[in-house]
Amino acid sequence: MINKRIIRVIFMFTLMFIMLIGYMTYFEIFQSEAVHQNPYNKRQWAYEEDITRGSILDRGGVVLAHSQGTERIYSYGPLYSHVIGYNSKIYGKTMLESKYNKYLLGQDILTQVFNLSGDKKVGYDVTLTIDHELQRFAAKRMGGYSGAVVALNPKTGEVLALVSKPDFDPSDQNLVENWINLTESEKFPLLPRATSGLYAPGSTFKIITSAAAVENGLGDEEYMDYGTVKIGNTEFQNYGKKAGGALDLKKAFAISSNTYFCSLGAKLGGEKLLAFAEAFGFNRVFDFDLPLEKSRFPAAKGDEDTAALAIGQGEMLATPMQMAMAAAAVANEGVIMKPHIVKNIKNSLGVTIDETKPQQLYRAMTAQTAEKISQMMVDAVKSGTGTAARISTITVAGKTGTAENEFLGREKNKEHTWFVGFAPAQNPEIVIAVMLEYSGKTGGDLAAPMARDIIMHYFGK
Amino acid sequence: MKKSIAKRPIFMVALINVLAFALLFIYRTPLNYQTLYVGGSILALNLVTYTIIRYYRLGDEYLFLIVSMLITIGVVMICRINYSLGIAQVGWYLIAICVFYLVFAAYRFIGFWGRLRWLYLALAIGLFIATQIIGTTINGAKNWIVIGGYSFQTSEVIKILFIFFLSCYFGGERDGFVFNIKEKYFITLMTYAFMGFLILQREWGFTLLIFATYFIMLYIYENDRLLLLANLLAAFFVGFAGYKLLRHIQIRIQNWINPWDDIANTGYQITQSLFAIAAGGFFGRGLGLGSPEVIPEVYSDFIFAAICEEMGIFGGVAIILLYLIFMYRGLKIALALGDGFDKSISLGISIMFGFQTFIIIGGVIKFIPLTGITLPFISYGGSSLVTSFVSLGILQAISAKGGAE
Repeated sequence: MINKRIIRVIFMFTLMFIMLIGYMTYFEIFQSEAVHQNPYNKRQWAYEEDITRGSILDRGGVVLAHSQGTERIYSYGPLYSHVIGYNSKIYGKTMLESKYNKYLLGQDILTQVFNLSGDKKVGYDVTLTIDHELQRFAAKRMGGYSGAVVALNPKTGEVLALVSKPDFDPSDQNLVENWINLTESEKFPLLPRATSGLYAPGSTFKIITSAAAVENGLGDEEYMDYGTVKIGNTEFQNYGKKAGGALDLKKAFAISSNTYFCSLGAKLGGEKLLAFAEAFGFNRVFDFDLPLEKSRFPAAKGDEDTAALAIGQGEMLATPMQMAMAAAAVANEGVIMKPHIVKNIKNSLGVTIDETKPQQLYRAMTAQTAEKISQMMVDAVKSGTGTAARISTITVAGKTGTAENEFLGREKNKEHTWFVGFAPAQNPEIVIAVMLEYSGKTGGDLAAPMARDIIMHYFGK
Repeated sequence: MKKSIAKRPIFMVALINVLAFALLFIYRTPLNYQTLYVGGSILALNLVTYTIIRYYRLGDEYLFLIVSMLITIGVVMICRINYSLGIAQVGWYLIAICVFYLVFAAYRFIGFWGRLRWLYLALAIGLFIATQIIGTTINGAKNWIVIGGYSFQTSEVIKILFIFFLSCYFGGERDGFVFNIKEKYFITLMTYAFMGFLILQREWGFTLLIFATYFIMLYIYENDRLLLLANLLAAFFVGFAGYKLLRHIQIRIQNWINPWDDIANTGYQITQSLFAIAAGGFFGRGLGLGSPEVIPEVYSDFIFAAICEEMGIFGGVAIILLYLIFMYRGLKIALALGDGFDKSISLGISIMFGFQTFIIIGGVIKFIPLTGITLPFISYGGSSLVTSFVSLGILQAISAKGGAE
């Protein structure tokens, strides 16, 4: 009896010790990364003193950030403040400097095992998918407006440009001198609008409503447009209360008829609209290279709600990146490729450590539906609200949007304006989303010409 | 059957010793030849003792093999953190080895250890009282006595006295009476008295250790399951009352659940330990390449974190497995013996080693709340090392007896 119990005690201890081992393994796999990056971790500072942090380059090899000793130099000042972020001993790290810190410091298992020499170490270089020339032009073209420009390659998901404004100088010196200004400014210069800003998408959401209608057999609906329509207790209006007459989906899309889409949305129902919003990426997250805010689409509480949601109003919010992804779905036969901003990582000898391969993220709709919507977007630019985005030599597809916001009813001319589109329509190479905050003009007047210029610049015209 | 030298486990111990000390020697500039003396002394002590145990057939040779590996890793880490402490530890190791032989001889050839229960009790109580009167407070625990410039931690001695005291009962007939109290209740009462004294000295780790050892011994020997249950309830009650009343315990529990809220103050030690383990990863940063010296008390209670930082999680796991095998060998010795004092002693020692290792390693990696206690054979400290070798000497003697009979 006693010996039997002793054997049980042996088992108990074995189990206890295995639990210790299990917990250590768990800690290493799931927690150690966060613990390691903790700002109180003195080790991190000590290691960084000994390591020349890797450079960050654009797709063509233009150096965007590099280190001299322990000083981090951002060659283009504020231009990449919302992409690369900053690397400061006092204020920590953000964006790519944070997410790719381990690589920039050249710390992974391989170097830990094989780098036994005590020499000065050099971190890995991170090459982005960003096209510096495009990024520079987009930022310049935006001028003094607050907002964002997102440009993607729809076939690969590569981010070609990612501009958020206002921006700031990410150098350590500037942060130290202006931290209070930066954090307390009413313009929120530290907010990366392209990826973390949430806005009502306005009429650009009609792309998704149309896709839902086509796939649910409502592609041939026709309504009379009197300029206003009453659904439930709410009266919905067209921009300027313009009446469009008898409309089918194609025509309604081109002139961006609110009354048509409100009626269509109410008929479609909140559930189907929600299902499509989610197919396009609303209410979902994926592991992007930068912190990406989740775009939100609520469950509608009745026809009024659904009608508002169908035209991109109501309790729906989207990031500019999300709307770029919606256009990318149309451009790429219904498939959203996973957006990524890091092309590859190489060590100081030029050996590739890691490389991002194009990957399908979501299937938003069928190829046939995408083809239909694409044609509708071409028409919207050719003869609808988006004519300002027209380019003589390249077919541009697009959709404008002018979104209400919290200022509605109190102040005029404070709407957010949008344009999302792609070009060339037959074989899209670039998807673009332009969003300007509180700019007080329509998407067609303001955002569309901006998008046109950026697309023209991309194609070297 | 002759095995080649390279296949014998002692070769591995020697190899690790040579490699580790050579690394330490080469890394530090200017070259410090003391490193070689330290490494050489440890190697010599290990080889000589192992050879003696083997050729004079002094019982189970694996016990010492495991211990010599632990000692080697311990001294390497202590040297790497603080040279003078490393050299001091070599001195303690020499003393500990001498004590080991003395204890071995005394236990092997004297037969009346099982009849001295009052002596153990008196010695323990004497030590408790002496600590309270002439003790010195180090690190918030009043548990050190300084004699002639050397300080020693009384609770380390008391834990061995406690095992002897318990074994007088468990190794005997187990149905006598003390002052009209059934013996098993008397033992229980005394255990709680020991714990009470240790709590007075703020020795949370030892308190837990004493209770856990007592409880498992009781589980093995006692058929009265009600008494076990009552003990469990009492432990729960005491723990809960402690949590409600004592700030020390509240802080420990808080820092176990979430040390990150107060990194700068109460959570400092444990978070520094976690930083070290996280820095090491699976393979470690390499001997001499980490920065374990920023952890408070890294050479004693927190040495396991330093090992994980420089030798990696895999190094840490290897250490845990060494302890597991050590404990298994100890319990195996107990299994082979018939009911009696020796069996009970070897059980008590093995169980105590097992719990002590679990308590400190579990604490350092934040698996359980942290209660300070040394890691046997590895942590720096004379009291801990010498008393660990006293325990080893006894185990060795018992295994030698078993072999002789």
